[in-house]
Amino acid sequence: MPEKDKPMPATAAYSQATKSDIRMMVTLGSRSAPDSKSPPAACVCPVIRSNGFSLYYGTKAGVRDITMDIHPCTVTSIIGPSGCGKSTFLRSINRMNDLIPHVRTEGLLEVDGQNVYDKRTNLVNLRQQVGMVFQKPNPFPKSIFDNIAYGPRLQGIRRKEELHHIVEQSLKAAAIWDEVKDDLRKSALALSGGQQQRLCIARALATRPRVLLMDEPCSALDPIATGRIEDLIGQLQSTYTIVIVTHNMQQAARVSERAAFFCLGELIEYDRTEKIFSNPAKKQTEDYVTGRFG
Amino acid sequence: MLGPSADRRRPLALTPGEDLVGFIASYLGRAVLFLITATSVLAVLLILLFVILRSTPFLREFGVREFLTSRVWRPTADEPVFGALTLIVGSLYVSIAALLFAVPVGILAAVFLSDIVSWKIRNVAKPVVEILAAIPSVAYGFFAVLVLAPWMQRRFGFSTGTNALNASMILAVMALPTIISVAEDAISALGRELREASYSLGATRLETMVKVVIPAAHSGIIAAVVLGMMRAIGETMVVWMASGNATQIPHPWWDLSQSIRTMTATIAGEMGEAPEGMAHRSALFAVGVVLLLMTFVLNIVSEYFLSRAKKATGKS
Amino acid sequence: MNLGIRRTLDRVFTGLTGASIVLLMLVLVAVLGPMIYRGSGAVLFGGTIEFRKMQRDLFNRADRAALEAEIAEADRARQVVYDMIDRFKKGIDIATMSSEAREINREYGRELRYRDVASEEYTEAREVARIIRDKLEEAFSSQDIALIRANVAEVLAQKDEARFKGTVAERFFSLATDFLDAAEHIDLSHYHDYLVALDEVEVILFGSIEHPGLLGPRPNQSARPLAMTSYGATRWDRAQALLDRLLWAEKWVEKEPGQPLVKARSPRAALFHDTALEPLFAYVPEHLNEMLRPRFTVYWQFFIDDNFDSHYFGGVGPEIIGTLLITVVGMLFVVPLGVISAAYLVECASEGPIMRILRMSINTLAGVPSIVFGLFGLAFFVLFLFPKLGFEPKACILAASLTLAVLTLPVMIRASEEAIRTVPRSYKEGSLALGASRFRTFVTVTFPAALPGILTGVILSLSRIAGETAPILFTGAVAMGPVPKSIFDPTRTLSYGSYDMAVGDRLAMMVPHNQYGMVLTLIVLILVLNAVAIVLRSRVFKKLKGH
Repeated sequence: MPEKDKPMPATAAYSQATKSDIRMMVTLGSRSAPDSKSPPAACVCPVIRSNGFSLYYGTKAGVRDITMDIHPCTVTSIIGPSGCGKSTFLRSINRMNDLIPHVRTEGLLEVDGQNVYDKRTNLVNLRQQVGMVFQKPNPFPKSIFDNIAYGPRLQGIRRKEELHHIVEQSLKAAAIWDEVKDDLRKSALALSGGQQQRLCIARALATRPRVLLMDEPCSALDPIATGRIEDLIGQLQSTYTIVIVTHNMQQAARVSERAAFFCLGELIEYDRTEKIFSNPAKKQTEDYVTGRFG
Repeated sequence: MLGPSADRRRPLALTPGEDLVGFIASYLGRAVLFLITATSVLAVLLILLFVILRSTPFLREFGVREFLTSRVWRPTADEPVFGALTLIVGSLYVSIAALLFAVPVGILAAVFLSDIVSWKIRNVAKPVVEILAAIPSVAYGFFAVLVLAPWMQRRFGFSTGTNALNASMILAVMALPTIISVAEDAISALGRELREASYSLGATRLETMVKVVIPAAHSGIIAAVVLGMMRAIGETMVVWMASGNATQIPHPWWDLSQSIRTMTATIAGEMGEAPEGMAHRSALFAVGVVLLLMTFVLNIVSEYFLSRAKKATGKS
Repeated sequence: MNLGIRRTLDRVFTGLTGASIVLLMLVLVAVLGPMIYRGSGAVLFGGTIEFRKMQRDLFNRADRAALEAEIAEADRARQVVYDMIDRFKKGIDIATMSSEAREINREYGRELRYRDVASEEYTEAREVARIIRDKLEEAFSSQDIALIRANVAEVLAQKDEARFKGTVAERFFSLATDFLDAAEHIDLSHYHDYLVALDEVEVILFGSIEHPGLLGPRPNQSARPLAMTSYGATRWDRAQALLDRLLWAEKWVEKEPGQPLVKARSPRAALFHDTALEPLFAYVPEHLNEMLRPRFTVYWQFFIDDNFDSHYFGGVGPEIIGTLLITVVGMLFVVPLGVISAAYLVECASEGPIMRILRMSINTLAGVPSIVFGLFGLAFFVLFLFPKLGFEPKACILAASLTLAVLTLPVMIRASEEAIRTVPRSYKEGSLALGASRFRTFVTVTFPAALPGILTGVILSLSRIAGETAPILFTGAVAMGPVPKSIFDPTRTLSYGSYDMAVGDRLAMMVPHNQYGMVLTLIVLILVLNAVAIVLRSRVFKKLKGH
């Protein structure tokens, strides 16, 4: 295989990452345990806990026996070849897989100590606390304002000023306020792809979630829009727990602190991002990140 | 900065009360929706029930055999005779004649739309078919009586312009949109690979169509024909207005210029004069039952072929 | 096979497929062409003064002063015709003239009695008058010109008698003069033929109790009971046709024995050769314009007016109202049912036996012949359900609407289902991920996004309901009748009206423009609805694709 056709090796990805990222990784690397990164007082125990979690479509397994903890106020990326179950796992966290018929689960998946697949789970509250951003930007065919206000309205917020406040805050948090503040009544479909995706992030933020799930949020976007979204993720990291699925390893390296490598529905390795890319424990992981397979 | 706020955090677990309410609401909602959806089922059952119920007094009194085998339909005579054979034959006669006109044209048009023309022409041709389908049947009947019938009488010297030929020509036009759209779906659902395989072996378009595509799409085309037949056999206004309504089986059988009478036209024409409680009215309902059963059978046949066509293209 | 033959066959095949589409287009033109051409005549035509009179009298719609002036003008032109006919009549209408002679005689006697005259003078005057009357009657009924001349001369000899001066008897002499004048010009052996021919001319010109004429009834004629015969030709095309009938006599003659009869035309003027009436046949075509004063008319009120005398005059207003009423009431039932059913089929139901039964029912329902729906509507709604609910068991709008609602239910369900299915899944997921319940998601996101598609379905069902005839034959449509007051009355509809005017009504054949106008209104209504649906569908398609 000629050299130039190879995917960029992990080390090259590092060289592209910003200096601060590298510094962060270095600091992370110097610590012995990941938990010891001094977290804010509120974030001590893991937000999402998966213990032997499996999900089946009929008889076919989507993901099998996943055990991992996701900690508050971190960015966790899930990488792996296509069809490896990374999206399935992500969508299990807020039970978006319910739409698919004949889905069955085993094992334990907890958000904030509540078993997600328990019959008594309040789906509405769960999904409000676990926001989601999809692969393709999916704004509703409504105005920008109505898109953002959709979630708060569901929570029963009716007062105009309050809604306005939330919409403004959310759009600012998603770094799109300056671009749309003059025409909030415009149809959201009139925005560009990158703007639409940031709008969707703002829409997810407006329900004030603790966790933000991102399912390949940049796969439909051009490099400039991708860069803006990645910057945004960096900003949001301090307040939200973010889980991001990506097939772009450079992106995983750039934005996340911890990375999980999935293959064929199983969790192969879950560790600090830097370790996964530079010194993976498993052969499979190494093959993948060095581009020998996948 | 907006953030996850502790004061807004809501419990992830439902309280038993919420759980119960949610359970009941969701099941109640589904039940209500289901009941509303079941209106269709109810309608079919009620149609069957009431049409059959109304026909039983007659069938009990006169017997099914005479009804189905006698050729004499004389409902208003002193000793009324209700033989529906002529009517049944009449319905089949005009429908089959209509299909003889419609099927070749329909298949050719379907091939034209799916394989021959560019999108541009298709966008012109398709609305023609849609407009033909949208014109109400009474307008076709109007045309048959006031335009086509006098013309045929003048041009061909028929003794009457309202005859089987007139009715079946109009029925053909009415069945065509159905035949074309179903057949076109079947033909274009086959995909390019099949055609390319044939063309690459040096076949002409005619050979590709006749030897490969149409045989492969035969299920869908049969379904199209059956649906066209259903349309023709159930049509009322056109046959009532254009067929002449003479209770006779054409003799010789191929003579389309004779007047004829169908089941639908009989019901439409005589119900007004058949008083409640008389055998005549009940007999008309019995004709309705025959009609209903025929369309049920045709419906099942068409469903069978449609599902076969779906399976065939699903695999390829 | 030879390559050349194969290629030729292939070309022939391609040509045939193209020909099939061309054939379809020709059929479309053949069907719609006459309807558009003749139907538009119901609204756009040359309206004559008679049309304006009719509008004034029947619909109370006219500029009265201007119309009066116009009528006076037209009457001046018509007076010539009246005079010609009267003059000719004097020569041949024996019965009228005889009775007039008798009438004069009687009146003269009465006059004498009132005047103070001596008794022998009275007797003599009566005697002379009687003789005059008899002489005249003899002359009237004679075909011998010599005898007529002699008798008239004898009568006229009395003209200067003092006793007749200034009395009603003077009319004897003008009668005699006129008669001689006419008798000199006609072939007396054809009295009867003239009478028949004149009668025909009069019917064509002035109409009769059954047939409307070219100019309408003469001013002094008694009023006719039907509106249609009370006016002359209201339309210029109709006037042309009547003029043609006036100028050309038609006869069915046997060309060869045993062959069907053929029509033969001969100029009607020839029948009146050399008579006082002959100039009429030159005058009428020349002055028809002045007598009828045609003017291009846009009769848009066709769509709101009621009709008179089985659609002879007027429009299709009540039919349109009836069609709309049935359609709207039907939609009230079918739209919620259809949309909810579709929502259930897409959102809730999972594959299984129940789903199969639902689908099969919907397909079956779609295949049931429309006339069977009519039977069902009669048996179930009218005769079974209505008495149970305490309504009168008769055909009415409600029954028709319910029947048609059942009929279009499959159309509505299929269209809505399609519309709901084409809403991108990402919309639904986006909403669910924000914590909306499934119901909430459907109401606030899926349904609005599917709305244009559902509207397409609504419009298609609407056009289906508006066009159906067979199901409402026994459930709510009538050919004649008042405008419905409630949904418990039967109504006229465009569809049933089209049927009735095509076959049911002999009178309608005389007004093809109204026949075709009715069916054209129906077709235009339905095609416009369909066009809206098609445009809506393509726009929705683009929007969903563009996203």
